[in-house]
Amino acid sequence: MNLTPEQQAVGRRNFLKAVAGLPALAGLGVAAAAKGPVRGGPVRLGFIGVGGEGRVLLNQTDPAFGEVRALCDINPSQLAKSDDVLKKNKLPPARHYSEWREMLEKEDLEAVVIAVPLWAHADVTVGCLDAGKHVLCEKMMAWDVPSCERMRQAALRNKRLLEIGYQRAYNPVYQSAFTGVIKAGALGDLFSARLAWHRNGSWRRNGEPPSPGYDPSKWGYPTFEHLYNWRLYKRYSRGLLAELASHQINIVNWFFEAIPEAVSGAGSIARYKDREVWDHVHATWEYPGGRHVTFSSVESNAFDRTYEAFYGTKGTLIMRGESEAYLFEEGGGSRSQAPTNIEVTPKAGGPAMDASESRIADAASSSQARGGNAAPGAGAERLSSYKLEVSGFCSSVRTGAPLACGPDKALRSALACLKADEALDQKTRVLITDPIGTSSTT
Amino acid sequence: MSDLSAQRGTSRRRLLTWPLSLDPRAAAADHWIRIHRRAMACRFEITLSGEDAADVPAARAALDEADRLEEALSVFRDTSHLTAINRTAADAPVAIDAELFALLDTCRRLHDDTGGAFDITSTPLSRCWGFLHREGRLPPLDAIDSARALVGMTHVALDAGAQAVRFAKPGVELNMGSIGKGYAVQRMCDLLARRGAPHALVSAAGSSIAALGGRGRGWEIDLHSRQRAGTPLARVFLRNGALATSGAGEQFIEVDGRRYGHVLDPRTGWPASGVLSATAIAGDAATADALATAFLVGGVDLARAYCASHPETLAVVFPDDGSPRARIFGSFRDAIVEDA
Repeated sequence: MNLTPEQQAVGRRNFLKAVAGLPALAGLGVAAAAKGPVRGGPVRLGFIGVGGEGRVLLNQTDPAFGEVRALCDINPSQLAKSDDVLKKNKLPPARHYSEWREMLEKEDLEAVVIAVPLWAHADVTVGCLDAGKHVLCEKMMAWDVPSCERMRQAALRNKRLLEIGYQRAYNPVYQSAFTGVIKAGALGDLFSARLAWHRNGSWRRNGEPPSPGYDPSKWGYPTFEHLYNWRLYKRYSRGLLAELASHQINIVNWFFEAIPEAVSGAGSIARYKDREVWDHVHATWEYPGGRHVTFSSVESNAFDRTYEAFYGTKGTLIMRGESEAYLFEEGGGSRSQAPTNIEVTPKAGGPAMDASESRIADAASSSQARGGNAAPGAGAERLSSYKLEVSGFCSSVRTGAPLACGPDKALRSALACLKADEALDQKTRVLITDPIGTSSTT
Repeated sequence: MSDLSAQRGTSRRRLLTWPLSLDPRAAAADHWIRIHRRAMACRFEITLSGEDAADVPAARAALDEADRLEEALSVFRDTSHLTAINRTAADAPVAIDAELFALLDTCRRLHDDTGGAFDITSTPLSRCWGFLHREGRLPPLDAIDSARALVGMTHVALDAGAQAVRFAKPGVELNMGSIGKGYAVQRMCDLLARRGAPHALVSAAGSSIAALGGRGRGWEIDLHSRQRAGTPLARVFLRNGALATSGAGEQFIEVDGRRYGHVLDPRTGWPASGVLSATAIAGDAATADALATAFLVGGVDLARAYCASHPETLAVVFPDDGSPRARIFGSFRDAIVEDA
């Protein structure tokens, strides 16, 4: 990424703050706004798939919104770790299952949180919806377009909620950026966006089977390695496009208020020959009105890390690491104007600002923004939007409040990524047509 | 598997209440949006509550106002109006625009009302002590006397009819350092109000603050001193008003074991002493800014006297005598001061 002098100034400031042991941006508070009682009660939840992602959602389930009744996983080790999560959060233990259908039969559940490998999303989700449960399913929606459509139809048929878990949609930083920058027209005419998710590592996970004779073949995984590293196998996964790009394309669809018309790009297994999915991906989506969006994900260099950047005629908006937002105005005026920055920080019960004798230059206005009493780092910030996600889903179940990412939006962003996968696979430009039509907005 | 029903019963009773915030996406209200830009060698910032995100463009327009005023008021810019005055007003009257004339008139009034503790002509003293360029030193006594001879609003003639300013002698200089940021913050606040923003907190350098609106008890502002890092000295809740804080802070020189802060008393020519931190709350930020400096210089006696004769002014002064308690004078309709 080429850094303008302004961006370098930001980078320098962040560096200095990091050296001082202070986060560049105090992130979001962990607390979802939970104030005062009304009628109702927490939603009775079951979890299917409590690996790393499932346990993040479990850990972020606010007991005021969701009561965890039962946990299901085909790997007993994951169930044991989930027990620890509940215990740590001082919540009652939940019953264990290895078969999700059995869990649905035996438990009195209202809703299910699903975080199983991508290829299984559709079968499990449709089964739960057909059993009358509301579903929060991890992103991406499904392994292929027909599966996505099957999930959407099941939700419609059963009149049940289906939310796909894009935590950015619940993140106040993104909500502020959309309302205060994009919708307010602060970027001017917006034709270009760039998405990056760069890492320097193999994406491979190392884990031990729960027992020496553990055999997951009846669930479709020939070996424990296939189950544990399912992301690296094409039959279970769509690789970087599904696991990373789909988050960012979902944001672009939101900010552009459109879906792409075509996609092309290139993918390669360049560094890690142990897998079936690409470890380097570049894709370009074409949106209506001549707008272009590029995505790159490389597993060989982490310099750029993770960001979504929107380039308009009046300004540039950079969303970085799910927790920071920067706004830079385009130059062109006669005077050398300093850049405008926008930061979002949690209220966290502290003052709006700290007053003192004059502080020079870039000193922040509050101890929260300086990190004095802020949440520790990006980890905590990111996790808070998961909490909002689970709570938001439960709210929708209880009150009918609109979903942040229902089946239509989720299908459209999954479609963009699945078509990109197709384009890269076939080394061609693939057209995208909206399978739903323009009337629906859920 | 153990029977969990007993525990469940307990937890269900405990959880029978349902959070009022039915849609956590409304949690926007749980965060601050801070829009900031560097101007006048410090951070200018507008703080909005999350639900006021639609006022971000107005906030950016307000920051443009800070840039405009820096162009007009900075003595560090060769092109500023003030630089032009300092260059030629000793030779002949300099005609100025209505905005600057009104500001200078305010400065003269505040100078008179504070017995000279607030003074925009103290640059020769700052130069003499080396504080102008952060190279503090104890000057020879005769140098202090010479500098003092150039200081005082009596040397500045304001002609309302001609809307012009003239200096009585060469060497007189104007510097908006102790009011310019407050003035800019107030103009920014006015602009936000004109653009329809209901609530916003405008600040410069963390020392000059204007509060527009304020939900609940008002904007919560902690008062700190750089000399006592960590715990705040006091907490203020403020609605539709302005606050400014002044202190000797981190800029000081040490000569023979004695500390001299960078804020000079224009009445004596020596650094102000006796006050750790002075905060003024008033209806507009320019006034608050000037008064904070004046109370730091003039101490408890000036704060008491000024607030007694000027309604809607509140002073929070922390004497530098080791006592932890604030001395509070006067009142302001929408300000609450509490121990932190």
